[in-house]
Amino acid sequence: MGGWHRFVDRFPEIVQLLLTGAVTTVVVTVGGFAVSVLLGLLFGTFKTSRSRALRAVAHVYVEVFRSVPVLTQLFIIYFGLASVGIRLPPVPAAVVGFGLNGGAYLTEVFRAGIEAVNRGQSEAALAIGMTRLMALRIIVMPQAVRVVLPALANFAIGLLKESSLASAVAAPELSFNAGMLVRQTYLSTQIYVCVAIVYLAMSLPLSSASRALERHVARGKRA
Amino acid sequence: MISDATLDLVREWLPELLVAAAQTLEMTALAYALSVVAGLFVALGEMSRRRWLARCCRVYIEFVRGTPTLTQLFLIYFGLPAFGIVLPSFGAAVVALGLHYAASMSEIYRGGIAAVDLGQAEAASAVGMTRAEALRHIVLPQALRVILPPMGNSLVSLLKDTSVASLIAAPELMMRADDLTSEYYMPMQIYLVTGVMYFIMAFPLSMAVRWLERSLIRSRLRQRRA
Repeated sequence: MGGWHRFVDRFPEIVQLLLTGAVTTVVVTVGGFAVSVLLGLLFGTFKTSRSRALRAVAHVYVEVFRSVPVLTQLFIIYFGLASVGIRLPPVPAAVVGFGLNGGAYLTEVFRAGIEAVNRGQSEAALAIGMTRLMALRIIVMPQAVRVVLPALANFAIGLLKESSLASAVAAPELSFNAGMLVRQTYLSTQIYVCVAIVYLAMSLPLSSASRALERHVARGKRA
Repeated sequence: MISDATLDLVREWLPELLVAAAQTLEMTALAYALSVVAGLFVALGEMSRRRWLARCCRVYIEFVRGTPTLTQLFLIYFGLPAFGIVLPSFGAAVVALGLHYAASMSEIYRGGIAAVDLGQAEAASAVGMTRAEALRHIVLPQALRVILPPMGNSLVSLLKDTSVASLIAAPELMMRADDLTSEYYMPMQIYLVTGVMYFIMAFPLSMAVRWLERSLIRSRLRQRRA
């Protein structure tokens, strides 16, 4: 188990590069999360719509994107699109890839959230003269979002870890920088242990926050 | 984009991709078997009355769930050789994915066991069964109905996650697609065909899981009415 001396010597440099990568990890996660939420809201609304065509569109979207590995989707977006002339830089490609994939998961989450809101709520909104869209936006969605908050938090934690796959499309995030360091120093054990610690440092606070949120929402429901 | 020439090429790739898809299925089956067995041990360990054992299992679960699959894969494939354990890429992928899914599997088991009425285990010990016997003959068979659907969902995610093994050059579908891409430089066509192949494997499986879920719920409703 050699290399600890070299590891200690280069420790500041290693930590700096890993933390720079962690910032990009957060950027990819936040960007992917935002796109996922937007797509999830849109297609979740489609899924609960009266129009059969909209429901079918949402259904196909969900089934296709949930049945193909996210790595394959990333490669189609990064390498595939580039070969037909649409060249996305790595980070935006990762944001789009994780967003499209995550949107399929969140579609089902938002659908469940919308269906969990009592029908009487939207009926009452229509009765006082709101359009269906207004009822959805002003009355149903705010209540649905509360129901889905814990699921959203869990999704964000999953996405944070999944963003490591962006290293495969050369996005300079935590795992990518780690791979670069390993190729320079051959200190694979030490560096990947550090990487695991940095991921834990990001995901553990998030998951305890999400558990607190879950308890909070559960309390609100009882009241 | 879809010309006759492309279709000919697809025909050329297909045999190789099919062999690779079989390897993906093999990797999935082996890693799944590992996760089903290891997950049960972790779940039992976590429910054990031995404090240290329960704590070790908890730490294991938190570590696995707090770090990416990719990091775990790299730790096992690139990190273990430093301790004299060298695994081939396919074996490393099976171990890494198996141990990764063991953590979520143990949570599924725990949830299933918790869903079985406590009176069942108490009655079993009242008729003289040991804790292990009660678990094996009374509690686990009843827990099975609760845990089957989430276990099926894990299988579907595992199938897709095997694609990550391509990043340590383990022989499976995604790896083969990468090879073909560097050979033909047609990433769009090759990865789309690959995506379709994953879809053909994963979609029927997830339909089957949903069918299982519905029929288990129906049978429970029937029982309650009877």
